[in-house]
Amino acid sequence: MAVPLSQMATVTKYVLAQKLSGVKRYPLVLMLEPLFRCNLACAGCGKIQYPDHVLDKRLTPEQCWAAAEECGAPIVSIPGGEPMIHPEMAKIVRGLVEQKRYVYLCTNAILMERKLDEYQPSKFLTFSVHMDGLKDEHDLAVCRDGVYEVAVKAIKAALKRGHRVTTNTTLFDDANPERVRKFFDAMMELGVEGMMISPGYSYQKAPDQQHFLKRERTRELFSRILGNPKKSWQFNQSPLFLDFLMGRREYECTPWGNPTYNVFGWQKPCYLLQEGYAKTFRELMDSTEWDRYGTGRNEKCADCMVHCGYEPSAVEDTFGTLSGFGRTVKLTMLPTSR
Amino acid sequence: MTDTKNHSSGGVTGSPEGRVFQPGSFAELVETVELAFDYRGDVTVSLKSGESLSGYLFNRQVSGSDSYLEVFPSNSPNAQHILYDQIASIAFTGEDTATGKSWETWIAKKDSERRAEVERVAAEARTRGIL
Repeated sequence: MAVPLSQMATVTKYVLAQKLSGVKRYPLVLMLEPLFRCNLACAGCGKIQYPDHVLDKRLTPEQCWAAAEECGAPIVSIPGGEPMIHPEMAKIVRGLVEQKRYVYLCTNAILMERKLDEYQPSKFLTFSVHMDGLKDEHDLAVCRDGVYEVAVKAIKAALKRGHRVTTNTTLFDDANPERVRKFFDAMMELGVEGMMISPGYSYQKAPDQQHFLKRERTRELFSRILGNPKKSWQFNQSPLFLDFLMGRREYECTPWGNPTYNVFGWQKPCYLLQEGYAKTFRELMDSTEWDRYGTGRNEKCADCMVHCGYEPSAVEDTFGTLSGFGRTVKLTMLPTSR
Repeated sequence: MTDTKNHSSGGVTGSPEGRVFQPGSFAELVETVELAFDYRGDVTVSLKSGESLSGYLFNRQVSGSDSYLEVFPSNSPNAQHILYDQIASIAFTGEDTATGKSWETWIAKKDSERRAEVERVAAEARTRGIL
């Protein structure tokens, strides 16, 4: 089982509490971006194209903790930029763990091994290492040779110290299903707790505009990758989201499920689109015209099947329908029954 | 709107880097601010008062005479709030950081590595007399 029972129980309790309170829109994962500066310039990334004085801005630990309290989501994902560049990242993480939030520190792992001493192993902290495939594919995707080997070494070091470690993988239309399956084998052999996968979003600002996936191609690709899954593979995400990627379930986007807070404020409407910023989480929820977003409603959302919009939809399916609940239980207990 | 570099109105294609817009109406101002909001470089906002501010335009709110934009100045940490009514022109003065240059450089490097590898294999094959 890729997600620990305590984490599952926390999320279950939180979602049920929202439902019992009649809350229609609630956040599941806070996407906290304390900085945009990165030490890589990946081809498919549209997050870091800013002038230097913006890249030099940092959220303070106090701003991060306040955002987590204000949002209330049980899970905090910290992407960026590269969060481990932030000189106070360990302090930020400690504060979020003290709030008993499950923190996923998303890193390319270049700085991870040398900074491991700053982090205490905890069930609330997971290093989510960016790995876009085996060595050739990963180094090509991150536009720098040697990064795969550095990340593998850092993963081994973190596991040795008792940290929770997962991988996060973004796939584009040049992905080779057989190579991706071998990559899954390699990651599980390394000993990671689980893997997270998602198709890339076609950021208008990303350098490589040729390789973003269209919806039909996404379903075909993920069906070939995830069909006949191996027993050893563990995924640290909703099994229904993987069904969705394979075209076995249809979902509407849940853009408020993973709200984003960064140096500009609360980003409207989601982690991927930047249509403006709200000063508070409440303002984000109340002033965003949510009906304008999602496939069929907005051309910018047309091909999007990314986890930050559809994983919350999958979780809603689990707790909102009998078929969703039954299939989640089945795939959690018997992952190879897909 | 008046683009003082290209003297054309509207229909901006490609990066607006280096261009200056002097909107002639509120609608043109809204259009210019949207272009600047979407721009991944610094802009210089010149005010009717004669002052100007250079920085990254990260937010805007269109609401009649209360419409405003927010800029992180390039030389100060605090965001500045500017009413649309105060604006005379917007110049796209900073480098457009989303031009894809880093990707082109990387691909050129990989291509040249591949070409070098092909030449190395060919030279080796020639030495062995199998080409």
